[in-house]
Amino acid sequence: MSASMSAEEMQKSYLKIFGALMFFTLLTIIAAKFVHFPESWGSVSTMLHVTIGLIIAVAKAWMVVYVFMHIKFDNPYIRVFIYVPLFLFSVLVFALTVLGGPTL
Amino acid sequence: MSSALSLAHEPVTGIRHGKLGMWIFLASEVMFFSGFFTAFIILRNTNLPVFAHGASELNWQLAALNTVNLIVSSLTMAMAILSLEHGNKSRFQLYMGITFLCACGFLVIKYIEYTTKFSHGIYPGTSSFFGLYFTMTGFHAMHVIGGMIPIGWMLAKSFTKRGYRDWERVEILGLYWHFVDLVWIFLFPILYLIF
Repeated sequence: MSASMSAEEMQKSYLKIFGALMFFTLLTIIAAKFVHFPESWGSVSTMLHVTIGLIIAVAKAWMVVYVFMHIKFDNPYIRVFIYVPLFLFSVLVFALTVLGGPTL
Repeated sequence: MSSALSLAHEPVTGIRHGKLGMWIFLASEVMFFSGFFTAFIILRNTNLPVFAHGASELNWQLAALNTVNLIVSSLTMAMAILSLEHGNKSRFQLYMGITFLCACGFLVIKYIEYTTKFSHGIYPGTSSFFGLYFTMTGFHAMHVIGGMIPIGWMLAKSFTKRGYRDWERVEILGLYWHFVDLVWIFLFPILYLIF
């Protein structure tokens, strides 16, 4: 697994990802709870909040997969197992931004 | 590489069977949770006021604390694997112990969240939002408990005379544990934040 990387290097990349995950968690909370768009924007404001929240979640997910789950260091053959489902899932969640037309 | 798990047994893929099996299992887990997310997306997009009202009843501060809990436990799990791989037993016990404690903390907070909801008369049948909230977070919490069992077992075993040296198994357990974190990464904004 880590034949090409020393323990120190691995530890460093884990800590980097940990820091990034914490930072993005803070960012997503600030964006959702403390950033307010003008009320006149109506549903566009909700859509923006959803989009920002999802982009951050997808970014966090790929970081976890790439470093914590060793995709970065592991046999490339494994990538197909997670890249395809995670990509499809990443697309799926963005359906949350579609708020629909007039209610019947 | 430890001798007991030689790659000679996996000539086609070059991936240990245990790890390959875990990845296939995790792919099926993605599908399992995707069902709930799809139900959530469709019901939310067609009942936005119900979902917005439901989400406003949730305690996002507690959920944020739980997010930190899981991120810390993911880091310590990765460190535990690294420590055991390099034969550092005491570090392994420390990191694995923190991982276990974070999981306990997660469940305690979840318990507080659930009982608060119940005391306010909110149950899974209250609305489609709460039906999905309890189902999704409930299944996620079960995954946390499911992870704590092998974590506790490996940790306990490392304190015995024979010790625990099979870091490749811990690595496979780690994959599962990071996946549990992954599910929460999506549950947190979708349930608590985006409304």
